[in-house]
Amino acid sequence: MMEIEEKFTAKRFWKEIAKGIVLTNPVFVLVLGLCPTLAVTTSVDNALGMGAGVIFVLLGSNIIISLIRKITPNMVRIPVFIVVIAAFVTILSLLFEAYIPPLYESLGIYLPLIVVNCIILGRAEVFASKNPVLLSMADGIGVGLGFTVSLIIISFLREVLGTGSLQIFGKKLFAIPVLSQSPLTIFIMPPGAFIVIALLMALFKLLGVLKNE
Amino acid sequence: MIREKNKNSGIKIMQNKFYPVVFLTIIVLVAVVLLMYVSNITRVKILEQREAKILNQLKNIFPDMEKYELKDDIYIILKDGKSISYAFIAKGKGYGGEIQTLVGIDKDFALKEIVVLSNSETPGLGSKITLSSFTDQFKGLKSNEVVLNKDGGRVDAISGATISSRAVTDSVREELNDKIEIIKNNGY
Amino acid sequence: MNSLLTIFLGMVLINNFILSKFLGLCPFFGVSKKLTNAISMGTAVTLVMVIASVATSIIHKYILIPYDVEFMNIIIYILVIAALVQIVEIVIKRTNITLYNALGIYLPLITTNCAVLGVTLINAQNNYSLMQSIISALGGGLGFTLILIIMSAIREKNELADTPKSMRGLPIAFIIASLLSLAFMGFNGLL
Repeated sequence: MMEIEEKFTAKRFWKEIAKGIVLTNPVFVLVLGLCPTLAVTTSVDNALGMGAGVIFVLLGSNIIISLIRKITPNMVRIPVFIVVIAAFVTILSLLFEAYIPPLYESLGIYLPLIVVNCIILGRAEVFASKNPVLLSMADGIGVGLGFTVSLIIISFLREVLGTGSLQIFGKKLFAIPVLSQSPLTIFIMPPGAFIVIALLMALFKLLGVLKNE
Repeated sequence: MIREKNKNSGIKIMQNKFYPVVFLTIIVLVAVVLLMYVSNITRVKILEQREAKILNQLKNIFPDMEKYELKDDIYIILKDGKSISYAFIAKGKGYGGEIQTLVGIDKDFALKEIVVLSNSETPGLGSKITLSSFTDQFKGLKSNEVVLNKDGGRVDAISGATISSRAVTDSVREELNDKIEIIKNNGY
Repeated sequence: MNSLLTIFLGMVLINNFILSKFLGLCPFFGVSKKLTNAISMGTAVTLVMVIASVATSIIHKYILIPYDVEFMNIIIYILVIAALVQIVEIVIKRTNITLYNALGIYLPLITTNCAVLGVTLINAQNNYSLMQSIISALGGGLGFTLILIIMSAIREKNELADTPKSMRGLPIAFIIASLLSLAFMGFNGLL
């Protein structure tokens, strides 16, 4: 409870956002939240929906947890975090079901499973429970965006290779002539998900290795 | 002075050994009340969405329908107060999970049209069951013909997605047989 | 009976939690480096999954549906799982210290294992009865353990191989998972 909290400045706010997207990218660098990363990246639409959902929950839970950080007893902090996160996920799921039913259906059980997304509980424990509200918001947005960007990259590769075309919000953006007639369906299926993420991780690692040398 | 005192009493409360339990209970209660509230707001909308989806689909299948009645899970399509055809939802287990199909039938129990309402099949493969190239095959079939070609029936499975195709075909046939029975027995 | 067998085989081979539903991946890549760890983790997960399925399927049937508050399932399930993990930990600690030493460190991790919450949600979604829920949890857990064991055996061997620098560690583990997933797709036509 007695840690010295960092002073809030606008510069810190933006730095916190940028950090979440690049340096501590939750998927490629920290390897967190793998289930949704692989499961819902069959199309860019799904990835955008999941990304938006995670940003909503992360932002909400970070704000609340940061607000109550001084009165939260250490002993029950994890259950408290889980309840707060679960409440936001339930709200999200009700909103999606009421206003965007197609997305609600295509995300299926991976929507409620946002509760156990390690990223969100991780941010609550590591960041929001120790920092003031505005910084926690910045952290939530940054990490959420980092997660969303990763989902978009993976889903873009999988959808384009696996169907030969790209659809966003139901509109066909482009179709690759030969590929769309006989697409590499494997990329839409589970093995393809593992291959794409393996290669992207190797790429991130390679970039890191080159930079260090 | 007063502030100092408040702070002290605050610390005292937090040191109480029941405080963690009480705090957690309060958080849970607040969450539950909040969720009740949100669910009350969205409930009407969610029911409307489900209703509208079915109504839309029914209107597509039966352009001359006036209204419908729901009895024993059968949508009885009415025109001038008389039943002109029927529809129902068939549920089958596909590769990725449950597949729900809305099935419209004529007065003489031949299939008029089927529409896949929801599925979680593999996109680009099993999800092709939603395309008209697959569902159109069902038009005009009698229940004993609703079997995959390779099992001796009249429906061509989507290549590479036999499980999804079979799930739709089998669930439609089984549900059709059940519903015919119910319709005949109750004289809907 | 036939449907119980279908559920079981479906969960173990076809809708395998790791290879086709991507559930429980975090512990999967974390503990699949050594065979002994894999077996302990798998056992702990299976145990919690079965107990959690019993509890949640009773709650679903007798509380959530009658009072029409099914939307509360997320918050209730996760609390039940968290509480169960605590209880299981205490019981094992009191009764069997060897087992506790083997499973102890994995138990707290299980609360946030998506496979456990996943199986309870799948049971609710499919409206499984109590017996069907138990079988589906058992199948899911054994399928999880099976892949964990196969994976750790492959990774132990892989340690000796000359893997390109940037592929070492997780990337190559994902490639192995991909190949396993491809192999398991062969079970698709089984049921």
